[in-house]
Amino acid sequence: MEDRLILSASHLKKSFRTGRNNNVLAVNDVSLEVIKGETLAIVGESGCGKSTLARILMRMIDADEGSIYFEGEEISGLPEKKLRVCRRMMQMVFQDPASSLDPRMKIRDIISEPLLAWKVYDSRSKREDRILELLELVDLKEDCLDRYPHQFSGGQRQRIGIARAIALNPKLLICDESVSALDVCVQAQILNLLKSLKQKMGLTCLFISHDLAVVSFIADRVCVMKNGQICEMAPASRIYNDPQHEYTKYLLSCIPQI
Amino acid sequence: MVKGIDITIPRQGIVGIVGESGCGKSMTAKSINHILPSFAQITSGSMIWHDPSGQVCDLVTLKEKEIRKRCGTDIAMIFQEPMTSLNPMMRIGDQIKEVLRIHRLETNGEKAKARVIEMLDAVEIPEPAIRYKAYPHELSGGMRQRVMIAMAMIGNPKLLIADEPTTALDVTTQAQILKLIRRMCETYNMSALMITHNMGVVSNICDYVYVMYLGTIMEQAPTSELFGNPMHPYTRGLLSSIPGVYDNPEFLKTIPGNIPVDRKKFKGCEFCIRCSNDIKKCFFEQAPLYRISEDHYIRCHVRGGNDGDINNGASVTEKEE
Repeated sequence: MEDRLILSASHLKKSFRTGRNNNVLAVNDVSLEVIKGETLAIVGESGCGKSTLARILMRMIDADEGSIYFEGEEISGLPEKKLRVCRRMMQMVFQDPASSLDPRMKIRDIISEPLLAWKVYDSRSKREDRILELLELVDLKEDCLDRYPHQFSGGQRQRIGIARAIALNPKLLICDESVSALDVCVQAQILNLLKSLKQKMGLTCLFISHDLAVVSFIADRVCVMKNGQICEMAPASRIYNDPQHEYTKYLLSCIPQI
Repeated sequence: MVKGIDITIPRQGIVGIVGESGCGKSMTAKSINHILPSFAQITSGSMIWHDPSGQVCDLVTLKEKEIRKRCGTDIAMIFQEPMTSLNPMMRIGDQIKEVLRIHRLETNGEKAKARVIEMLDAVEIPEPAIRYKAYPHELSGGMRQRVMIAMAMIGNPKLLIADEPTTALDVTTQAQILKLIRRMCETYNMSALMITHNMGVVSNICDYVYVMYLGTIMEQAPTSELFGNPMHPYTRGLLSSIPGVYDNPEFLKTIPGNIPVDRKKFKGCEFCIRCSNDIKKCFFEQAPLYRISEDHYIRCHVRGGNDGDINNGASVTEKEE
């Protein structure tokens, strides 16, 4: 495997049973490669399989067929115990910041949970330092540590979710519709934050979204999905200025222009 | 929650209210046909309904029964999530027919059914006669929203209130639904009030736009004027924080801070603490509506200037049609 790739997948297939004799092919023969340091965006309409693909890549669900390589090592068949090392390297930020944070945990506990699980720091004070550092990275104030998720706005909650995701210095960050539930102003703030974090920490990012405008702001490469298949994958500038596939053209024509 | 809003909807015009969540745009819409949640009341103001026949009435003072009569025939509403606003236990055709039955627009069952099918056809649902018998869960999101529109349109209303009609939909479906609403307005001589947070939707479909922030109208202008020449710092901030499709800056310009939670503290301009113009007056005095040009008004001390005409925004009126 080449060194420049962080994640690659070949011929992934996944189907779900929807009825006695009905199967839906959510992901149909998808192969893709994520290059170190880039932001690869997956766009498509709802139901096109983009979230399923992300979940398969994270091994949250298992594919029916195909293989996944993370940093050159095949992870598609790995048992859960060995997978744990990889899990540390890939983290996820979810769409709904309200339901992805435990309402009964204080912010301090939420952010320190990954650090505790991995026993990164042996002393409490070192851990505390790291938490403060993380808070600064996501532009939150120190006084929020002893508060609960419901006391924050949507944008702040998403910042907490991001702090938790980057706590272990992951190599790959998967953002599944991370900004879709936010208002435009807050969305812009979070997009800026993700972009600056990527620069500061050298993160590789897999960004899943249905919003082509958001994707055009953040992505280096774009992969357009339809009905579980990739119809076009190209550098962002090419997708937007010179789309090849009919479906990409159609998607672009549907964006309301301001 | 909503303070002193003046809105005028012209006949056959499409008017939009944009704002972030919690700014009171839905409350404004719901106050029109009296479906406010129980903790909210209209404390003052009036909503003048100009009937095509020349009659004028104030919707605020109408009784429950009278407003019920108007909902569906004069004013119809469509909501954001079509799945939760349709009855999952009823076939869609029967749900639409219910409007005709309740308002006694068509008492003959067969004729009513024919009208429903005709309506389903008008909202571009393929095979309307077969779909008549479908249940909501059998349809896609876009189709459900079409059913909602059919249900709203069958009473031939004069005003359609659309509360975030496309938020739950994909871009491709959104484009189709917007086109459909526009066409419906033209063919049925109807006005529409679009409530949305999406600037793109507004610029696509509306003739006139109100920008709302914390229960107040910050800026109002014809669509082309608002997007071509935004004056209020809030409108400018909103527009600059939307990523473009073709050209993007390295980082988006955002409005600093968050929407304040405790609104009672403000004596002055609602936007003052997040505004880039740091002027003392803004903290103590609520800005009146300044007139910029013929149809363009803003509520800002700094940008409104002193030479602009002052339209006294203190009176609370909401006017439809």
